[in-house]
Amino acid sequence: MENLPIDLGVLIAAAFAVVAIILYLREYNQRKKLQSEGDKFLQQIKEKGWETLNQSIKKSQAILGQAELAGVKVAAQTSFETSKLEEEYSRQLQAVLNQSQRAITASQNQLLQFMQDLQKRSGEFEQASQSSGQERINQLFERLETKLSDFLIQTEQKTTSSIELELKAARQLLDTYKSEQLKLIDENIMAMMEQTLSLVLAKKLSLKDQLDLIYEALEKAKIEKFIV
Amino acid sequence: MNNLLNTILKDTFSVNLLKHRLRILKSNLLKTFFGSNQEELSLCAEDINWLKSIPLPLYQQFDKDNVYQIFSNLEMEISKLKVLTIYLTFEPDEITLSQIGAFARKTFDPTLLLDIKLNPNLIAGTAFAWKGIYKDYSLHAKIEEKKPEILEGFKRFLR
Repeated sequence: MENLPIDLGVLIAAAFAVVAIILYLREYNQRKKLQSEGDKFLQQIKEKGWETLNQSIKKSQAILGQAELAGVKVAAQTSFETSKLEEEYSRQLQAVLNQSQRAITASQNQLLQFMQDLQKRSGEFEQASQSSGQERINQLFERLETKLSDFLIQTEQKTTSSIELELKAARQLLDTYKSEQLKLIDENIMAMMEQTLSLVLAKKLSLKDQLDLIYEALEKAKIEKFIV
Repeated sequence: MNNLLNTILKDTFSVNLLKHRLRILKSNLLKTFFGSNQEELSLCAEDINWLKSIPLPLYQQFDKDNVYQIFSNLEMEISKLKVLTIYLTFEPDEITLSQIGAFARKTFDPTLLLDIKLNPNLIAGTAFAWKGIYKDYSLHAKIEEKKPEILEGFKRFLR
């Protein structure tokens, strides 16, 4: 056998490998052991669980039975109560409905009565209003007739008075015009006569006659004491 | 003074004639005393005759010292004379005026003067104004008095 070169490093690595394998194996064994223990424990637990479950189921079933019983009881009682309540409710509702019906009927009757009263009063009021209106219209017509009559009389009087005044003024104007015209004619007559006399006397009256007239005037003035 | 005025008034009856005669007398005297420097007045024959009719003694009272004074006194005396305004329908000549004036002086006052005015509207007769009051004695006034009767007569005639 040849001597194999032994290397330290390889030795150390081999050692570590051996250790590692050992550790691995040990770990593997431990794990396996733990797994088996765990399985066992789990089996136990499972069994206990099943047992507990069965017990629970049993208890639950008991409870459920009781509960169902209680529920049936409750349901029965509830149904009874409900029917009772419903009955009571129906009764009360019916009573309320009846009361409401009566109240509505009464209100309706009152309303009808009120409407009838209202209609009656309205009729009366209308009648009174109509008669009052008729009376007022009659009074208005009477007053209107009176005022119209007065107005017509006054107008007639005023018109008559105005016409009379106009006639009077016209007559006065006519009289004035007439008198003025007559006065003018008189003045014209006098002027013509004086002019004629003046022309005639200027030719026909002698100086002696003129002097005689002057002497006569002087003597008259003396007699009248006009010239003192 | 009174003699002179009376002499002038003797045949002078109207105010206008009196003023004219006084003017010619004064002019004549002034000419006599002061020469021809005074305003010369044209004299008609009547004026000359009237100047000649004034008596000489009256002329002799004038001299160149008192001539203005005498005329001033004369004018003052004349202003005191009564004036009758007489309205005539014709213009009288001097003779007619003298006749009217003489009758008026005989009737009222010897120194009465006439203020002659013409009014042909009087038709005939005369009217007077004395101391501001007018009175109509003419035919016109008589016609006015009888106007209603005259007009009534006319109207009756027209009917």
